[in-house]
Amino acid sequence: MAEVLIDKLCKSYGSAEILKDIDLKVEDGSFVVLVGPSGCGKSTLLRCIAGLEPISAGGMTIGGRQVKNLPPAKREIAMVFQSYALYPHMDVKGNMAFGLRFAGTPKAEIEARVAEAARILQLEPLLKRRPRELSGGQRQRVAIGRAIVRKPQVFLFDEPLSNLDAALRINTRVEIAKLHKLLNATIVYVTHDQVEAMTLADKIVVMNKGRIEQAGKPLDLYYKPANLFVAGFIGSPAMNFLEGHVTGSGRVEAAGSGLTLRLPSSCKPGDKVTLGVRPEHMNLGAAPGPLLQAQVDLIERLGETGYAHLRLPTGQVVISEVRGEPGHVTGDSISVGFDPVRCHIFDAAGRRIE
Amino acid sequence: MSRTAYLLLLAVFLAPAVIIYSTFSIYPLLATIFNSFYDRQDDGTSLFVGLSNFTTLLSDPTWSAPFWNAFRNNCLFFLIHMCVQNPIGLVLAALLSLPRLNLRATYRTLIFMPTMLSVVVIGFSWQLILSPLWGVAKMFLSFFGLGFLFGPWLGEESTALLTISLISVWQFVGIPMILIYTALLAIPDELIDAATVDGLNQFQAFIWVKLPLILPTLGLVSVLTFVNNFNAFDLIYAMKGALAGPNFSADIMGTLFYRVFFGNQLQLGDTSMGSAIATMMFLIILTGVMIYLFVIQRRMHRYSF
Amino acid sequence: MRKPASAIAVHAILGLYTVLALFPIVLVVMNSFKAKRAIFNTPLQPPMPWNFDPIGYAKVFGDSAITSYYLNSLVVTTGTIFMTLLFGAMAAWALTEYKFRWNTLLALYLSIGIMVPIRLGSVAIIQLVSDLNMINTLSALVLVYTAQSLPLSIFILSEFIAQIPKDLREAGRCDGLTEFHIFFYIVLPLIRPAMATVAVFTMIPVWNDLWFPLLLAPTNGKQTITLGVQQFLGQYITDWNAVLAALSTAIIPVLILYVIFSRQLIRGLTSGAVK
Ligand SMILES: Nc1ncnc2c1ncn2[C@@H]1O[C@H](COP(=O)(O)OP(=O)(O)OP(=O)(O)O)[C@@H](O)[C@H]1O
Ligand SMILES: [Mg+2]
Repeated sequence: MAEVLIDKLCKSYGSAEILKDIDLKVEDGSFVVLVGPSGCGKSTLLRCIAGLEPISAGGMTIGGRQVKNLPPAKREIAMVFQSYALYPHMDVKGNMAFGLRFAGTPKAEIEARVAEAARILQLEPLLKRRPRELSGGQRQRVAIGRAIVRKPQVFLFDEPLSNLDAALRINTRVEIAKLHKLLNATIVYVTHDQVEAMTLADKIVVMNKGRIEQAGKPLDLYYKPANLFVAGFIGSPAMNFLEGHVTGSGRVEAAGSGLTLRLPSSCKPGDKVTLGVRPEHMNLGAAPGPLLQAQVDLIERLGETGYAHLRLPTGQVVISEVRGEPGHVTGDSISVGFDPVRCHIFDAAGRRIE
Repeated sequence: MSRTAYLLLLAVFLAPAVIIYSTFSIYPLLATIFNSFYDRQDDGTSLFVGLSNFTTLLSDPTWSAPFWNAFRNNCLFFLIHMCVQNPIGLVLAALLSLPRLNLRATYRTLIFMPTMLSVVVIGFSWQLILSPLWGVAKMFLSFFGLGFLFGPWLGEESTALLTISLISVWQFVGIPMILIYTALLAIPDELIDAATVDGLNQFQAFIWVKLPLILPTLGLVSVLTFVNNFNAFDLIYAMKGALAGPNFSADIMGTLFYRVFFGNQLQLGDTSMGSAIATMMFLIILTGVMIYLFVIQRRMHRYSF
Repeated sequence: MRKPASAIAVHAILGLYTVLALFPIVLVVMNSFKAKRAIFNTPLQPPMPWNFDPIGYAKVFGDSAITSYYLNSLVVTTGTIFMTLLFGAMAAWALTEYKFRWNTLLALYLSIGIMVPIRLGSVAIIQLVSDLNMINTLSALVLVYTAQSLPLSIFILSEFIAQIPKDLREAGRCDGLTEFHIFFYIVLPLIRPAMATVAVFTMIPVWNDLWFPLLLAPTNGKQTITLGVQQFLGQYITDWNAVLAALSTAIIPVLILYVIFSRQLIRGLTSGAVK
């Protein structure tokens, strides 16, 4: 396995800049997940790593080797596509062996590798079937098998689970995590699904409009989002933001009320700030911190937990998690509080203030 | 809705199409086959003669020689289309469907243009171009130093059919091109990406991934070529008239049928023998279509992506 | 097209073939505007003020009834398109929407004509048309061409009608529309793109056909333009100006139509898969 180093990579189609100054290190054997809103360039970055798209500027090494001008087959990567891209006219075995045949791998070696991949992925009974005779989950496993037999330095996955139903998605997610351990593989993985990202990743890379907003361990991104974009993107439902300004040392005026918070000394009175509080860190009723007055708009019950949509006096709606049986109904006036330690503060430019 | 009302509704929707189609397509076809078992007498009555029109056509030398000549020429005509038109169509389609090709739409539109024009117009234009009188073709060949190759191709027995076939190829290459091009477009890009990652270059990906996937379309193109070729008439009639070239060297089934049925300077029109020839053409085309439907199509899988 | 060398090779092949495809057409149209001497001496030169001579066109439009032949072709083609679209859509709708016992059989019967050319029945068609006293009429051509075009159009239109969501028709029924209203106000507007495709498929072979005009309407001023040009060429075989002009009169309108509609046409041919 190998590490991938991306250095100031840029990619444009004609005059449209799709990726700008991407710097990324994928450590040897690590599982890196790319997330971001639709159209932000995740697939494009993955395809640049694969060599399917030429890059406009910058460089990239895989296992210490500059690969900028190498074709995909020479980069020792394997890719699993969203639609699986299995060859419809070949059986499962043919699909897995196809790339090896073209690489001139000896027949015996191909047999052995296909057999091993089939064993790992439990595909042995299906080797003679055509893709259209397989279920979605089985096709997915064949696509992964096709990647495994190449014994690549790096695995690239582009939303591999998005065509599966919810139950199968969870199963396959667990399988992929096991596979990562088993093969000790370096993986770059694109997804839309937060849970996938949080559970699979050693490192999450949040992208927006062709740039990397933040890269780090899943919990670091959750607890210490570097900016408003990452704070709003990671976590579901999204973080509540309250606009405000600093009024005195340790005091902030926000959401129509004065709050006392621990502010760093760099904040001067008059500075605009944004407070961020996750729904799961808010409490209806008494709380060990500042209180806001609000009116209940709507309560969504999901079972043990639920979400209360609360209207503040300013008209803004915030969401708070509720546990157990709440005594409130729509229209009730209540107070809602949060733990100041759990509150994120961002400056006027959207950057996190420690 | 009551049963009567339902049937009435069906009748209103279906009747016009079924009546016109049956009257002007199926009935004439059946009547022609029926005619071929009769002999039309001079007094206008018809006499049932069984298969005798066919035995005459296939064994009486005055009939069988032209028939087999036309049949052989028609097979050659078809063979030339299969070996020249369809491969060229395939290559053009493959090039047109390459990713990131500039001017794609322009090429496609222009190359398809001859297919749109009338066969009569095309035939005559080529006749002028190849005519030694005008000498454009010779001038053109001389430009490449190949002037010595030029001959009155359309006028010579040995080359007339080949020349006409190539002109037909030139005109109709757009059809296989467009059909194959469509089939190629339907192949998802990700599949080619997968092949690229598997180490295939564009050419190998075409041979090993795209080509197997468009086999059904190639089958369809072949049977369409077959039907059109054994039904051809206009081009040869426009260029060479009903007598089809020097000493019938470009005679095919369509022109033979026309000549026998309508008559010409050499013979009187003959409805019964005309019907017999049309029936033979029907059988030939039917055989081709059946081979396609029951042998070729059965063996091939259509892939949905 | 990553490597410029291979890109150049691809463009070279496509470009050369394009030239080959266009050369004869351009040559004929170009020379039709030139004086006889220039046609023979400098055939590759485009028409210029000094070699310009429209005498061929004067002959074509003066000596013959070319204009009325155009009109005949127009009548035959539009008549055929209209009948094919209306009757074809009606039949396609009935075959896809309503279930009845001989549904599949009828569909099969109607599709025979896709593979078996109607020309093979010419002997009987002539007898039929003369029995109906319709020799040398345009209606005979329209009927025969409609019969010829119906199978393929029913096939194509059925595929499209099958794609109309069932809910839409059910909604119409709930609103109390009759089956005829549903067909004319819901189905027909929705399959308009498919109808355009079918119209083009119908038009080209009809406009260009030589066979049936030759058999059914060869004289009496009822010739279509294709036949008219063919007969004109036969008469004036040695008058190169007239011949080239006659060919160009047949080519130019089709070219203009083609250039205008080529996108729709190719889209139809490639069933919307144009990239
Ligand atoms: N061939 C292309 N030509 C021009 N622009 C392109 C091309 N391919 C992609 N783009 C643009 O690049 C941007 C990034 O696309 P990309 O597919 O990488 O997004 P993504 O992050 O994977 O989105 P999604 O989550 O929807 O898959 C998009 O705005 C897209 O419009
Ligand atoms: Mg994507």
